Amino acid sequence: MKAMPIVMLCAALLATGCATHPSNPQDPLEPMNRSIYNFNDKLDRAVAQPVARAYRQVTPQPARTGVSNFFDNLLDAYSLANDILSAQPVKAMNDLMRVAVNTTFGVFGLVDFATPMGLKSNKTSLGDTLARWGWKDSHYLVLPILGPSTVRDGLGTATTLYIGPERRILFKAPATANVADGVQLVSRRERLLDVSDAIDEAAIDPYSYTRDAYLQLRAAQIGGASQASAPASQTPNADDLDIDQLVTPDAAPSTAPSNVKPDASAPH
Amino acid sequence: MKKLLFTLLSLLILATPVLARADASPVDFVRENSKQVLDVLKTENGRNTRKIRDQIETMVIPKFDFKRMTAFAVGKNWRVATPGQQDELTNQFQTLLIRVYASTMTRYRNAQIDVKPNAVLNNNGAEATVRTEVTLPNSGNSQKPISVDYTLYKTSQGWRVYNVSVEGASLVTAYRSQFDTEVRTNGVDGLIKSLKDKNAKLASQGSGA
Repeated sequence: MKAMPIVMLCAALLATGCATHPSNPQDPLEPMNRSIYNFNDKLDRAVAQPVARAYRQVTPQPARTGVSNFFDNLLDAYSLANDILSAQPVKAMNDLMRVAVNTTFGVFGLVDFATPMGLKSNKTSLGDTLARWGWKDSHYLVLPILGPSTVRDGLGTATTLYIGPERRILFKAPATANVADGVQLVSRRERLLDVSDAIDEAAIDPYSYTRDAYLQLRAAQIGGASQASAPASQTPNADDLDIDQLVTPDAAPSTAPSNVKPDASAPH
Repeated sequence: MKKLLFTLLSLLILATPVLARADASPVDFVRENSKQVLDVLKTENGRNTRKIRDQIETMVIPKFDFKRMTAFAVGKNWRVATPGQQDELTNQFQTLLIRVYASTMTRYRNAQIDVKPNAVLNNNGAEATVRTEVTLPNSGNSQKPISVDYTLYKTSQGWRVYNVSVEGASLVTAYRSQFDTEVRTNGVDGLIKSLKDKNAKLASQGSGA
């Protein structure tokens, strides 16, 4: 399970640049992404979703919160490492305090005392670190099992999984580590049930809906530094589209003359 | 003199809310509507889903500008569509969005909505983005509140919403490339048909929230 994303990632990197007319310029790998998406979707409907729903049914909310807090605490430790790698001392201090508080008072992370104390959850990933050092725009990439990502974030995830210090330090035996990975996946899937149900209902093409929403979300997350590049790249024509040109505001222009932009009348 | 000043001051303070109501701020608009919708949704008990949905529909329709939303989602192909097609697209998209809105809100009906007091004004005050934070109940403390932003614009009848973003991702423009692909392969009528099919499929799934 650990090797698979890495193999797929290599395939993805090799395939970059030989794609034909994608529907989103940020998704040149669409054919491959779609097939991984379909594979994930089948697996999800057959296994992950039923398991996650059963998990939700069987366990009480406090137990689920405890489980998800435990893994969040691990992510905070990773976040701390990435805050340091991306030279963000304030966030690093914050995440250090989070891990310290939650590991001790929170009994190995089962209870999250840090958030009510005002220590924000950053969850800086290796992908964020790479983005911070300039890799802002990255092609969309669907990872097997793990789902939506980008080439940049996928590389980060693969590296993190590969290094995976918690496997040796915390879980020791590989079997324990695999169980932990499984539990983490189920816990994550359970938290995403409402979102995936909403997408199922809303989307005509769930693949592109998920992709476009994910890319926008990611751009907003990393976009703090580069406001210029993020929104322009999220959707085709997002930048040169003036909504007031498509529909006259309100059909009552007399009330809102300021909406009419005389300089934006050039056809494109 | 002091008394006069005091009287003037208190008059001013008393008058402020009145002035505010005459030209309701986008923040108040969003706050009031979120509250109303949640109040209705809290009366849902599993058997009255249909009724609740109708109620939400009548509440929500006048607050959103669905034509503008549809144009925003369709993008440049909007110009290609005839006025008749535009109306049909708007109708179908409106049905879909309301359905999605109602069931999403039902799922999150116990959420806390915190409407941020300062809206971001654009386009000389004709447009406003109102930020809200939604905190889910029972989600544990570690869950960050979800940011939901509403983009509104001023019409002669007051503010209207035409875009909703969750965590920076627009629920409207996320449709754009699906719509674009559909129009490129099957034309505007193809897009209308696929929206119709989607709505029919959702309707046949019954009242499932």
